[in-house]
Amino acid sequence: MFKNDERYWDINLLNKWFAVSSIIFLAVTVWVFVDDNDDEFKTYQKEFRKMQIKIAETKLVQDSTEIASDRIIYEKELAIAQENFDDRKEDLDLLEKELRTLKNRHYNENMLYQGQKAQIDALKFLVEADNAHGASHGPSHLDDYNTALDKLDNLRLIREGTEIEISEKEQIIKQIKSQVKAKKDDLDAFTKKYTLTKNTLEKIDREKMTIGNQIGDIVRDLPILDFLDPYYKVHQIVVADVKYDVNFAAVPTVDRCTSCHLGIDNPDFSDAPQPYTTHPNLELYLTSSSPHPINNFGCTSCHAGKSRGTSFVSSGHTPNTPEDKERWKEEYDWKKDHHWLTPMLPTRYTQASCFNCHSNTSDLAGAEKLNFGLSLVDKAGCNGCHHNEDWPTQAKSGPNLKKVNEKLSEDWVAKWVKNPRHFRYNTRMPAIFEQPNQETEEVTEYNNAEIAGITEYLFNGKDKKSGSNSKRFVGDIASGEKLFNAIGCTGCHVSENNPELAPHVDSYYNLTKVQGPNLIGMGSKVSAEWLYEWLMDPQAYMPETKMPNLRLEPQQAKDLTAYLIKDKNKPFDDLPDHKYSKEVLDQLTVNWLKKSNPEKYAIQKASKMDELEKLNFVGEKSIRHYGCFGCHNIDGFDDAKPIGVEITEEGSKPVGKFDFGLFHDIEHTTHAWIENKLRTPRIYDRGKESEHLDLLKMPNFYFSEEEIEAITTAVLSFNANKIGEKLLAHKKAPDIYKKGHRLVKQYNCQGCHLIENRGGQLVDQIGKPEYGPPNLHTEGRKANPDWLLSFLNNPSIIRPNLQAKMPSFHQISDEDWDAIIAYFQHMASEKVHYRSEHQFDTESTEFAAGQTLHEIGQCNSCHFYGEEFPTGDAPTWAPNLAMTKERLNPDWVHEWLKNPQEIMPGTKMPAPYLPDEAVLSAKGAINDWGSDLIKLNGDTTKMLNGLRDYLWNIEGSNNIDDLVKTYFDKNGYDFESSDGDDDYDDDDDWDDEDEDEDDDW
Amino acid sequence: MLDAFKNSVDYLSNPTISFSLLTVLTPLLFPPTDWFDKINRKLRLHLLWTKTGCAISMAVITFFFAVGFLDENFSVILTKADNFPIILMFYSIFFCTWLAMHKAYINDERLEKGLKPSEYNDPDDKVLVWPDLVYIEFIALILFTVFLVVWSILVAAPLEEPANPASTPNPSKAPWYFLGLQEMLVYYDPWIAGILLPIFCVVGLMAIPYMDINKKGDGYYSFKERRVGIFIFMYGWIVLWLFLIVLGTFFRGPNWNFYGPFEYWDAHKVVALNNINLSEYFWVKLLGTGLPDNILLREFVGFIVVGIYLFITPVLLAKTVLKDMVKSYGLVRFGALMTFGLVMLSLPIKMYFRWIFDLKYFVAIPEYFFNI
Repeated sequence: MFKNDERYWDINLLNKWFAVSSIIFLAVTVWVFVDDNDDEFKTYQKEFRKMQIKIAETKLVQDSTEIASDRIIYEKELAIAQENFDDRKEDLDLLEKELRTLKNRHYNENMLYQGQKAQIDALKFLVEADNAHGASHGPSHLDDYNTALDKLDNLRLIREGTEIEISEKEQIIKQIKSQVKAKKDDLDAFTKKYTLTKNTLEKIDREKMTIGNQIGDIVRDLPILDFLDPYYKVHQIVVADVKYDVNFAAVPTVDRCTSCHLGIDNPDFSDAPQPYTTHPNLELYLTSSSPHPINNFGCTSCHAGKSRGTSFVSSGHTPNTPEDKERWKEEYDWKKDHHWLTPMLPTRYTQASCFNCHSNTSDLAGAEKLNFGLSLVDKAGCNGCHHNEDWPTQAKSGPNLKKVNEKLSEDWVAKWVKNPRHFRYNTRMPAIFEQPNQETEEVTEYNNAEIAGITEYLFNGKDKKSGSNSKRFVGDIASGEKLFNAIGCTGCHVSENNPELAPHVDSYYNLTKVQGPNLIGMGSKVSAEWLYEWLMDPQAYMPETKMPNLRLEPQQAKDLTAYLIKDKNKPFDDLPDHKYSKEVLDQLTVNWLKKSNPEKYAIQKASKMDELEKLNFVGEKSIRHYGCFGCHNIDGFDDAKPIGVEITEEGSKPVGKFDFGLFHDIEHTTHAWIENKLRTPRIYDRGKESEHLDLLKMPNFYFSEEEIEAITTAVLSFNANKIGEKLLAHKKAPDIYKKGHRLVKQYNCQGCHLIENRGGQLVDQIGKPEYGPPNLHTEGRKANPDWLLSFLNNPSIIRPNLQAKMPSFHQISDEDWDAIIAYFQHMASEKVHYRSEHQFDTESTEFAAGQTLHEIGQCNSCHFYGEEFPTGDAPTWAPNLAMTKERLNPDWVHEWLKNPQEIMPGTKMPAPYLPDEAVLSAKGAINDWGSDLIKLNGDTTKMLNGLRDYLWNIEGSNNIDDLVKTYFDKNGYDFESSDGDDDYDDDDDWDDEDEDEDDDW
Repeated sequence: MLDAFKNSVDYLSNPTISFSLLTVLTPLLFPPTDWFDKINRKLRLHLLWTKTGCAISMAVITFFFAVGFLDENFSVILTKADNFPIILMFYSIFFCTWLAMHKAYINDERLEKGLKPSEYNDPDDKVLVWPDLVYIEFIALILFTVFLVVWSILVAAPLEEPANPASTPNPSKAPWYFLGLQEMLVYYDPWIAGILLPIFCVVGLMAIPYMDINKKGDGYYSFKERRVGIFIFMYGWIVLWLFLIVLGTFFRGPNWNFYGPFEYWDAHKVVALNNINLSEYFWVKLLGTGLPDNILLREFVGFIVVGIYLFITPVLLAKTVLKDMVKSYGLVRFGALMTFGLVMLSLPIKMYFRWIFDLKYFVAIPEYFFNI
C-alpha cells in the first residue's frame, strides 16, 4: 500500500517492537492467571487432600479387616440365594416379557382414557352452558355427554384391569427376587461403613476415579472454569448473629478460616499439624451437637482476627509467644496488620470472648482463666475506680474507714499507707506510694505530706484508739489456735508469716483462701479489746462487712483473740514514725489551691490555715486524687465519682488510643499494654517530665503473673462486640441470677462450699467431705426456699457432726438472699418456687413398706429424730429427720435416696437397701420383709416413695442446737477426732445439707 | 559519615530551608534573565542538561532512595504502597524535564547558528497517522498496560481499616496527588487553599494559550526563546506543586508535624504553634491597645495590605518596569496575567510570612469564616 520510504519510522523495527511487547503482554497475562490462582489456601487444601486420602486408605484397610471374616458368611448366603434365583431364571424371563407386553398395553389404554377425558371436559362445558342460557344455539349436548361418560367408564375399567394384571405379575417377580435382595441388603448393611469410606476415597483420590471423573476433577479447577464447582475453593461460614462493625453499618461476619483449617471439626486430624489439626475441644465447640456449632458461631466470634483473610498474614494471626512470633516471621513472613483493629486474640486470651455471650457468671465451665480474672476484678476492686457497665461493682473491696479511729492508731495508718507491704507482705491493699514514678526527692516529700494529710483526714475530730489489752479480753492461745483451724476461719483467712508457704494466688480456688486478710502481726495492729468485740459481732463495728458472725461464746472469742494477737510485726513496729516537712505541706496546699484560685489568693488562703487545717485539706484532696474511696467508705466521699477511665469497652479500644509512653520496648498491642499496666502500673510515665499531681496514679497490686494473665483476659472481655440476641446466653437467664452469683462470690461462699464444682477449699483442708461444709450441688432443687431463707437468716444445726460452723450473715438483706436463692434454683434448673405441702396417705401399703425399710435401714443410728439422739457415736451423727418435711423438696428426697453418692460425692449416707422381686418372693420373705413390702413386689419407685413419706411423718423438735451443745459441753469434742473416725462407714448423712448449713460442734 | 549525611538531609528537608533552596535554585536552573544565565554558566549548572548530567542526577536520586531503604525509619515510609507513585514521580519528572531541556539547549545552539530546530520537518513532507502515529501509540499502550498489571500483581492495594469518625488516622493524609493542596492548608484558610487556589490553578492553566503571545518556540523545544515563561511555569509546577506533594508524603508525620526523612515518626512530638494575625501585630504589638470591637476597623490594615497587593501592584508595575509589556499584551490580557501571577505568588509570600513572622492571617474574620 505504502512505499516504505514514505514512512517516518522503519516498519520492520516497529513490527519487532510490537512483537516483543505483545509477547511480554501475553506473558504478563499468564502471570495474572497464575498469580490469581496461586492462593495460599489452595496449597493447604492440596496437602490436606493428600492427608485425607491417606487417612481414608488406612481406614479402608481397617474397615476391610474388621469385616473380612464375617463378610464371607454374608457373601456365602448371598451366593446361595443367587443360585436359587438362577434356577428360576427362565420363569423370570418369561414373566418379565409378559410384563413388558402388559405395560405397553397399559400405555395405550391410558392414552385412550386421557383422550376421552379431555373430550368429556369440553362436552361438560357445553352442557353447563346450555343449562345456564337455554339450548338456543342448536341441539342439546346432553346425550353426547352421557354417551361419552359411558365410554370413559369403559375405558377406565379396561385400564384398571390391565393395572391389576401388571401388579400381580410384579408381585411374583418381586417374590422371586426377594431372597437375593434381602441377602444383599444384609451384606450392604454389614459393609456400610466400609462402603462409605470407599466412596469417600473415590471422591477425593484421583487415582481411584474413572477416567471421566479424572478429567472432570482437573477441569473443575482450571482458571475461569472454576467458577462452577471447584474442588479447591474458599470455604466460608456466614455468621448472621455476629456482626462486624464497619462504623456506618454492621454486616454479618464471614469466616474463611476453614479454607486452611480444614480438619478443624474432624476428629480424624487430632494429630495433624497446623493448620489441619482438629479443634482441641470438640465437645464444647464446632460440632453440631456441641453448644457452639460452627455454623452458628464461626471462628472469629471467639478468636477474633480478620475473618475474611485467606492467607496466614491477611487473617490477622497474633502470636502467643515471642518464639511463635520469630518462627512466624521466618516461615510465613508474618507481620502485624496495623489496619485491622481486631487482631486475633493470642491463644492465652481466647477465653476473653466467652464473656461476649456469657456475661452473667464467673463460674463458666471451660473458662477458668476468665472466671479467675472476673473474680480478681471484684476482689481487687478494679471497678471502684474504673466504671464498668457490664460487670458493675458489687461492693467496696476494702474496709469501711469511718470508724478507723477505734481500731487503729494514726501512726500505724500512716506507715501502712506509705507501704502496706511493710506490714503484710501479701496484702490486697495496693501500694499508692513508693512507686517508680515517685522516686525523686521532690515527689517523695510531697507524698510524705500527702500521707500525713490522708491519715489526719481519716482521724480528724474523732477519738483516738483506746482499746485495752486487758486480760479480760485474752483467753487461751492453744485453744484459740485449735478454734481458728476448726471453726471455719480458714475458709476465708490464712495466718501465715512465711511468704513461701502462703497461698500462691494462681487460681480462683486459691483466691478463696485469701478472701480476708492474712492474719499476721495482729498484735502490732489492733487491741485485744477491739479484736474481741469484732469477733463477737463484726457488724457492730462495720455494718456492711463481709465478715460474718460466727456466734462465738465469749470464751471462744477470748481464745481466738489470744491466738491472733500474740503475733507482732517487730520490723514494722520499729519503723520510725511517719514524718513530713511543713514547707512541703505548705507548698502542696498552695499547689492544690492554685487549681481553683490565682496563685496570689492561693498563697493568702494557705497562710490563713493552721497546720491541722492544711493536713486535712491536703488529706481530702489526696484521697480524692488517689481515689481511696474507690475501695473504702470514707466520710465525705459517699457520692464521689470513680477516678479511672471507664472500662466497659476497654477490650475494643483501638490500640492507637493507648499511651505507650516514650519507650519502644513494649509491643503495641492492647493485651501487652494491659499486661504491663497491671505489672507496673506507672510504667508509661517512664522518661516523662510530669508535675507531681500529673503523674500516673494507678496503684500497684503486685499481681502474680497468673493474676495478670487472668485480669488481662477479663479486661479484654469487656468489649463492644456486636452479638445477636439469639447467641447471648446471659439473656436466657434472669438478671437475678447474675446478682445472686456475684453475691455468692462477694461473700466467698465457695471458700467453704463446693458450688458449681468450684471452691470448697475448707472441705479440702478438713480432708473428708463428710466433715466439711456440704457440697451445694442441687441445692436449689433440694431445699424448700422458705426454709432456706429462714435458715440463712438464722442458721441452726443441721449436721451435728461438723466442727466448722455456718456463720450468720446478718448483713445480707432479704432482697439479696432472694437473689442468692434464685441463683441456686437457676443452677439446679428448678422452675418451681412455691410448693404446696407434700400429701401422702399414712394408711397406704407404700407408707407401711417405707416404715419397714426405715426400720431395717436403722436410720436412727446416725440421724436425730427431733430430740431423740442417734444410737451411734457423735462423729457419725447426721441431720435431724424431724426437719425433713419443712426443709426438703419431696422429689429431691426421692432422687437422693436413690443414689446419694451421685448428688453428693463422698457422703457417708448409704443408699437404703431395697429388696428386689427375687428376694421378696423367696421362701420366708414374709418374715424378713413383712407383707407390705412384698405387696410392692420390688417396685423401687414405690418403695422409695414410701420411705420418703415415712420421713415426712416424723415429728419432733426442729432445733436441737441446745441439746447438741449441752452434749458436747459435757462430753467434749475432740477437735482432731475427724481424722480418726474413718471406720464409720455406715454412717450417713443423707440429708445433707444445704447451702448454708450450719454446723455443729 | 552516613549519619552525618542523614542528619544534614533531615536538616535541609525542613520546609523553610528546602523551600528556600528550591526557590533560589529554580531561577538558576531555568534562568529567566541574562543575569541569572550568567550565574548559571558560571556555576556550570547548564551541564545538568547534558547526558552526563542526567546520569549523575539519576544516580544521586537512586543513592538517596537506596540510603532510605536501608534506613529503618525512612524505609517504613518509602515502602508504603501509597508512596510508590512518589518514588516514580522523582524519576519521571526529572527525566521529562531533563529531556525537554536537553533538546531545548540543542535547539538553542542550532538557532544561534542560524540552523532550523532539530524537530523541523518540511511542511510538504507528510507523516502518516497510520502507521507512524497509531502504531507506536499502540505499542506504548501495550507496554504501559504491562507496567500497570505488573504493578498491581506485585503491590497489593493499600487498604486500611473501615473509616471511623471516632478514630481517624494520624497523620490523616490525602491521596498523594492532593498532598500539595493539603500542604497549602497549613498556610491558608480552607476556602482559599481548598477552593480558590485550585480554581486559579485550573483556570490559569487553561488560560495560558490565551495569554501567551510569544510565537516562538512553537513545535520545537527551546529555552532561550521563552525563558521567562518556562521559569514561571517550572516554579509553579515543581516548587509550588510537586515539592509540596513530596513534602506531604515524606516529611509530614503524626499531627502533620515536620519530620526529616530519616527521623522516627514519634507521635509524642510537639511543635509550638504561636501564630498571630496581622491585626494583632498592628493593634496589640504596635499600638499597644486591644483589638477594636468593630470587625472592619480591626482588620483594616489587612484589607489595605491585600488591596495594595492585588490592585495597586499591577498598576505600579504597568507604569514602571512592565510598561512595554502592557503595550504588547493589551490591558485585559495584562490584567489577567497579573491576577494569576499575583495569586500564584501569594502562596510563597504567605509561607514566608508564616515562617519569619509567625503570621497567621492578613485578614482574620473567624466570625464569618473569612480569613486571608
